Amino acid sequence: MSWADWFDQFAFFLVGGITLVSAAGVVFVPRIIHACLCLLAALISIAGLYGLLAAHLLVAIQVLVYAGGIAVLILFAVMLLHRGGEGGLLGGSRNLLIGLPATVIVWFTVAIAVVFSKWHYLPEFQPSTAGASSDVQAVGELLLSRHLLAFELISVIMLMALVGAIILAREDRPE
Amino acid sequence: MMLPPIGLLHYLILSLCLFSFGLLAVITRRHAIGILLGIELMLNSANINLVACNHFLNPGGALLDGQVFVLMVIALAACEAAVGLAIILRFYRQAEAADVADAQLLKW
Repeated sequence: MSWADWFDQFAFFLVGGITLVSAAGVVFVPRIIHACLCLLAALISIAGLYGLLAAHLLVAIQVLVYAGGIAVLILFAVMLLHRGGEGGLLGGSRNLLIGLPATVIVWFTVAIAVVFSKWHYLPEFQPSTAGASSDVQAVGELLLSRHLLAFELISVIMLMALVGAIILAREDRPE
Repeated sequence: MMLPPIGLLHYLILSLCLFSFGLLAVITRRHAIGILLGIELMLNSANINLVACNHFLNPGGALLDGQVFVLMVIALAACEAAVGLAIILRFYRQAEAADVADAQLLKW
């Protein structure tokens, strides 16, 4: 094995391990605000996985939108209603007897399907030598040519979600 | 020690584990926001699948459609988090609790 292969192994298992440990924290940490912080760590290490997969644009998007936007939004919501924050798994969960076997069954089913599938590997695969800037350019051109309809529909959906969230969350005004 | 080189299977198994954690969070969490966190984990595992398949299964790294799909999923996840949190805030204001077992208005 060459030096680069060893680096690949080390980086994958390090970043993947951090991801799985923080994902386990999302499930098993009793206080909900700590679970949110675990989710933040998981999202950032998933950005690291995207980096290992040479998707440089997605690293930036993941950190900006997920870690900087969605996770902070959830943290704000937790702080707004931080009274019912107790009671995770350690606080006595009702559904663990059902949830754990169901999850294990799902895991083994999908794992068998993944391992025994015949993936069409390309053995002569070489990593793309294109830099990050052309990565951004190529994705942008795809967004505005082949996926234009989905792009425009996403903007409509975002407008609807914005209006809907405001209407749902605002105070009831006595009229 | 000869480990196999990091391939598609590694990433698929990793994202499967992530999906299982998300599923477990959705089933076992009693706090409504905990369920939302589990859904975010599941969406992220699907994103890892898309990027990994785009990276390993495309000829010469010429196609980037998988990354475009991931952008769409991230945008939808942002919408889903905003609407979900608005619903949770509303529910909390009405029921004075965030335990999903207390949401029984539309149950039967």
